[in-house]
Amino acid sequence: MRKAIKAAFFGIISMAFVGSAIADITFVSWGGAYTASQQKAYIDTYSKGSSITVENYNGGLGEIKAQVEAGNVTWDVVDVLPDQAITGCDEGLFVKVDQSEFINDMVVPPVSDCVVPQIFWAYTAFYDKAAFPGKKPKNIKDFFDVKKFPGKRGIHTWANALIEMALVADGVKASKVYEVMSTPEGIDRAFAKLDTIKDHVVFWSAGSKPLELVSSGEVVMALAYNGRIGAAILSEGKNFEYIWDATVLEQEYLVAIKGGNEAEALAFMAHASSAESNAEQAKYIPYGPMRKSSIGIIKKGEPWFITSSGNIDILPHMPTTPKVLKRAVIGDPVWWADNGAEVHERFGAWKGS
Amino acid sequence: MNQSQESTGPILTTDGIPLKVSLKKAERINKIRAFLLVLPLLAFILITFLVPIGDMLARSVDDRQINTVFPKTFEVYKKWDRQGLPSEEVYKTIFFELKNSEGYAVGKASTRMNYSKSGWKSLLKKSKRKFKKIEEGPYKEQMIAIDKKWGDPEYWLAIGQMVDPTTMGYYLNAVDLKYDSSKNIVQQKENRRIYNKTWIKTFKVSLLVTLFCLLLGYPISYLLATLPMKYSNLLMICVLLPFWTSLLVRTVAWMVMLQQKGVLNNLLVMSNLLADENRFQLMYNQTAVVIVMTQILLPFMVLPLYSVMKTISPTYMRAALNLGASPMHAFYKIYMPNSVPGVSAGCLLVFIIAIGYYITPELVGGKDGQMVGNWIAYHLKTTLNWGLCASLGAILLAMMTVLYWAYNKIVGIENIKLG
Repeated sequence: MRKAIKAAFFGIISMAFVGSAIADITFVSWGGAYTASQQKAYIDTYSKGSSITVENYNGGLGEIKAQVEAGNVTWDVVDVLPDQAITGCDEGLFVKVDQSEFINDMVVPPVSDCVVPQIFWAYTAFYDKAAFPGKKPKNIKDFFDVKKFPGKRGIHTWANALIEMALVADGVKASKVYEVMSTPEGIDRAFAKLDTIKDHVVFWSAGSKPLELVSSGEVVMALAYNGRIGAAILSEGKNFEYIWDATVLEQEYLVAIKGGNEAEALAFMAHASSAESNAEQAKYIPYGPMRKSSIGIIKKGEPWFITSSGNIDILPHMPTTPKVLKRAVIGDPVWWADNGAEVHERFGAWKGS
Repeated sequence: MNQSQESTGPILTTDGIPLKVSLKKAERINKIRAFLLVLPLLAFILITFLVPIGDMLARSVDDRQINTVFPKTFEVYKKWDRQGLPSEEVYKTIFFELKNSEGYAVGKASTRMNYSKSGWKSLLKKSKRKFKKIEEGPYKEQMIAIDKKWGDPEYWLAIGQMVDPTTMGYYLNAVDLKYDSSKNIVQQKENRRIYNKTWIKTFKVSLLVTLFCLLLGYPISYLLATLPMKYSNLLMICVLLPFWTSLLVRTVAWMVMLQQKGVLNNLLVMSNLLADENRFQLMYNQTAVVIVMTQILLPFMVLPLYSVMKTISPTYMRAALNLGASPMHAFYKIYMPNSVPGVSAGCLLVFIIAIGYYITPELVGGKDGQMVGNWIAYHLKTTLNWGLCASLGAILLAMMTVLYWAYNKIVGIENIKLG
């Protein structure tokens, strides 16, 4: 018995070592349907030698900074938000990349010198059609109107996008939102608008939670990442409906961590950011590719999205169609990198009071 | 005999060394040997415990980062009278220091400067890029032309808070105070005051959890200690089974139980005890945090209580009853005082764990259930304000030390029993 335990123990230890010798790159992303789409689109198809281990995280630069400062980098490629892409690149946590391959093929210019393009995603309001048998909410004003549409709202625990949406709901033009936000009165105005739904909100912090809240009837409407809503409608047959108004469009990038397996990581990122990979990903999750030529590939290939009961047209579910863009707020990561800390503290005070 | 010894001096060993010296030598070798034996452990504690705590304390006051990037600017800055805008000299100095500095150092410095005044981050980044085009002075006008923030006195005043290599700023921040531009301590703007409220909430929740754990744990432990073995074993498994279950699983299970369309509310509505529109709001608020944390921390109360109660001999109670005390009186006079070491151990343990709790408030706390630990995690991960994290952590540490000290004074630490 003892011998068997001993053998098992050493077996596990040696497996751990062998495992780490084969796994050349650790790829870190957000989990759920999103990571699954990355896995199918460009991890499974990557054949240049290095094998890839996938890990999940919940955003933020804390772990990365700790790894780089301690000189013990275990993550190689990380999927980051744009304001983190800026801060991390400025502080020397990420490797600078050669962007000549794609820089002229991007819908917006890259936020920093360290990134390769991934996707556009959006904070989008949605509801379950069953929750509103009569009149249905049409725009973000309705989301903030608890008299017209009674019931709880699911919103995320941080301030990004909420400030923008509150201002649009209060009558600010989507294109003028960051101008208004740059004045103290503008922020006051946003919080005053948030006050009107304060007693009717349920907070979420994990991306899958808002779907669960709406499905279970805990809330009647919620904000969520549009891809999660799309995946629920397309793959799980949920009866959800988007409110394509004041969606806040955010960018998503891949970066390589300094001190990690840099050369391998950059090779993998080149593959992951190719127009084909960007388009391929949209087969599995309805996020908007960041490369212009990917959209062409998808258009040509429609119905593009793969479900168990045949393919479906994906463009109507994307946050980057002209129809949606007309009423959308393009998120400004530079504004958030500058003012995020202050607004988040105020948001924390607002939540707790 | 005595006299002869005194005259011959100290006792010698066979090789002529005084016995005292020889003994000391032998003892010293033993001591070194013993020390070498514990050395790995000592090093382990030093490296994994004291060094991180020391590092944390150092980080909470450290403000050198930007001093190494803008040393000359700070020199000339000190001469400025803080009226209007600084002189051309200050502009010129910061211009060259920024232009010639290493990029990453500026990046880190700008993160720090952004804590004092939002906007520094993009200002420095943009300026560093555009300064390359400026060849000669005067610099002031050209810099303001690049970005009008350079002409805003508030940004210049904000530098004043960062001139010293150490700062109490993070600690002030952690209790809703701050430095104004002339380094007086003032209250934080009203809509940004969050930490004092959070401290009070953290204490309140921890105290409530400790109290409920005690109220629930005491009878359970009593039963455990007094029931016959076959029943008490079963009961013990009931206590330990959740203890062995993953924390996350238990937390999520509570979410299923308590949410508005959850098991409990559904049962009450189905049995017509509750109207559909009056469903209890038991999830995503402070109540939820207290309920779930009480359940999760209960074993930490039950186990020390049980191990102490097990040692209280039943004959004491029998003797008291025999001598005419009512059961209540006997319990109050005999059993309770005997169980105090377990009670204090349990309470201290639960309170200490509760006060730093993070995951449960994060998941079930909703808008008003967030505790200090959640803010530490937030600043650690999102704003990268590790100085503030360190000061929040240091305050927690100080509170626990004070609590421990007060506890030692009142109850005496030797009275704690974990078993």
